[in-house]
Amino acid sequence: MGRRELGIFNIGGEYHAIPNLCPHQRGPLCEGDVSGTLDFGPHTDWTLDWIWDGEVVSCPWHSLEFHVPTGRCVGLDDIRLRKFDVSLANGEIRVRV
Amino acid sequence: MGAEQRETLETLLVVDADVHVHEDPAALAEYAEAPWDVALREIAKLPERYLDLPGMSPRADYRVPFPGGSNRRQIVTSAAELRDGLDGLGVDVAVLFPDHLLTLAMVRERGFAVALARAYNQWLYEHWLLEEPTLKGALTIAPQDPRAAADEVRRHRDHRQFVCVYLPGSGLRTLYGDESYDPLYAAALEAGWPLVIHSVEAVFPVFPFQLDGFRTGLSVHALAHPLSMVANMLSMLETGVPVRFPDLKVAFMEAGTAWIPWLANRLDKEYVERRREVPLLQTRPSHYIRRFFYGTQPIEEPENRGDVVKLFELFDGENQAMFASDWPHHDFDHPQYVFGLPFTAEARRKIMGENAVRFFGLEV
Repeated sequence: MGRRELGIFNIGGEYHAIPNLCPHQRGPLCEGDVSGTLDFGPHTDWTLDWIWDGEVVSCPWHSLEFHVPTGRCVGLDDIRLRKFDVSLANGEIRVRV
Repeated sequence: MGAEQRETLETLLVVDADVHVHEDPAALAEYAEAPWDVALREIAKLPERYLDLPGMSPRADYRVPFPGGSNRRQIVTSAAELRDGLDGLGVDVAVLFPDHLLTLAMVRERGFAVALARAYNQWLYEHWLLEEPTLKGALTIAPQDPRAAADEVRRHRDHRQFVCVYLPGSGLRTLYGDESYDPLYAAALEAGWPLVIHSVEAVFPVFPFQLDGFRTGLSVHALAHPLSMVANMLSMLETGVPVRFPDLKVAFMEAGTAWIPWLANRLDKEYVERRREVPLLQTRPSHYIRRFFYGTQPIEEPENRGDVVKLFELFDGENQAMFASDWPHHDFDHPQYVFGLPFTAEARRKIMGENAVRFFGLEV
């Protein structure tokens, strides 16, 4: 898309588009594996929990985790990815940039 | 902007003081003396994991696996592949260190450790250093046998594609200040090669790697590297290595830099009271510490990037720090990050390349 690379993720039938550029050291974020992640605290009743299965992308460069549906960086709350509107029309995926 | 062209990563000389090649046991078997070639062929039958091969890199990885994390290929197996990767990073010249032999000090069988170093050096020389002139070698030695290590240095002293002697820094039974290493240091000095102590993460029953009290890789990785450096630097200072070998250059690789001002300040305080224990030292320990060299990786990433510049001022990083990426490992630093820190243009040039030219004696 011009000089801008995006990654489009199909998570449970819903499409999400985020930049293919990690805000940490500019790694190709969307080439990373998609998985869940671990959580622990009062909200998990103090037991280790596996959450967001299939919704977390880890940057292939340094493993920084992002929750794709919200664009939130899992570990650093001051970092949030730009999210692009994605729509499906006539079998085409359209992204508004 | 004036007439002077603005410097970019592309226009600047970038020397990467720490890049890793992947030595697989089958390849080394071709270069190993009997009976160690037999052992290496046996090891080659085992599935290989990251820096973890029974017998060859006995650094048990105790982490509990979960899906996710980096999926990037973190090994490089040929000079052409490495040159290609370094071109992508903007690195002009790189100094090559091993993968598995980062753990060489933890190999218990002394003869095997010596044979591994010998086989690796010859393999590195033939398959990487002669292939690509911008790739320089760190000559690996087995600390288990300092005299054999000195022989290894002498064996290669005419191979000037090697630019330093690599001392495995983790899991070491005898720290590098011990006088048993003197023949090795004398040989390195005679060959004109500096020393580079390179650490690796390990949980191992040798000081200071008894890190099994921690549950996470976060703790072990954060501590193992700087502890390795602190232990070896202290050992070298207490036996006066910088005084006994004043022309020997020494660098500390892969522990970042934040630990340096801490140790320097701590030691200067101790020195006031305990100078008589280290009568070889002629002045404050920090003066010697500021003459050592340091790899930048893993460079600190404070919220305020200017803090790195302040940190470097505390150990004369402008003149003593050498950019290192640690490519292709999991915690590599992209040169763009270090380049983009708010150093002066002169400091940036030195840190990204000129300090390494001086340390390794590179002709560029």
